Amino acid sequence: MKKRLYIVLFGLAVLIPLGLLSGSPAWGEWDGAYYKKILGFIPKGIQNAKSLNAPLSDYTLGGTNSITGYYLSAFVGIAILFVLFFVLMKIFKARGKSEQSA
Amino acid sequence: MHIPDGYLSPATVVATYAVVAPLWVYGFKKLKASLDEETLPLIGALSAMSFVIMMFNIPIPGGTSGHAVGAALISILFNPWIGFISVSLVLLIQAVVFGDGGISTLAANALSMAFVGSFVGYYSFMMCKKYRAAPFFAGWIALVSSSVLTSIFLGIQPIFWTLDGKPLYFPFGLKVTFVALVGSHMLFFGVVEGIFTALVYSFIKKRQKVVVA
Repeated sequence: MKKRLYIVLFGLAVLIPLGLLSGSPAWGEWDGAYYKKILGFIPKGIQNAKSLNAPLSDYTLGGTNSITGYYLSAFVGIAILFVLFFVLMKIFKARGKSEQSA
Repeated sequence: MHIPDGYLSPATVVATYAVVAPLWVYGFKKLKASLDEETLPLIGALSAMSFVIMMFNIPIPGGTSGHAVGAALISILFNPWIGFISVSLVLLIQAVVFGDGGISTLAANALSMAFVGSFVGYYSFMMCKKYRAAPFFAGWIALVSSSVLTSIFLGIQPIFWTLDGKPLYFPFGLKVTFVALVGSHMLFFGVVEGIFTALVYSFIKKRQKVVVA
């Protein structure tokens, strides 16, 4: 099961630039300019929303083209996920031991 | 379906966090029980697959786009609680690192895409397991159900939270939102989720049986 999963994951990761074919945003995920155009105003909550300064905002890296940024984003995202699960496993184990010895 | 920051009223944010918090606590207990050196490569790869499949934005008529989620696949291949926690972690990384989906709306997004997607996918698969189309149906109905919840979160905003007749948060009502979101997921993205779930499921499961035999 594992080997085939990794084949699928690798295949999807290679094909990832296909995800850039759509230039349109998802329904209901527009930016302020869209509301200005459609409604004539931007709802206050949306206008005043505080958002984080995401390092790879919109899956792009400044100064690189979109395909490079997209590949890099996929790699970074996958890497973070594996590290996260690894760290969680270590935390769970350490806590499990301390519970047993207590 | 990634609701951005500022789209939901503070009351909705508090309510969704209050609902999802105990589910996360219980889900992490389930993860703790099953995460070890042997399952880590499996859970990691399934989560990575969910992250990657969400990057495939599919354009549809009407000038919008969408994507599959992969929650049903993780739930069928592993366990719905692991599916829920894995997709929640994917959503967290998307919000923090890629600015995709908000932090205040993480609970709402986790309830729709991760929780509803995982459990609807898992139980509908279990119910029609004997039919060949079970993985496809599970993927389709999981994503459509997720979109139902997302459209409710968004669509109730202008009903309850306005100032001088102007919506304060997401401005479009239930009917419009429901038709646009659930309709597009029934016709397009749910079908993609179903095909993705069925293809990966059969690639992993059926060949395994041949090897065993």
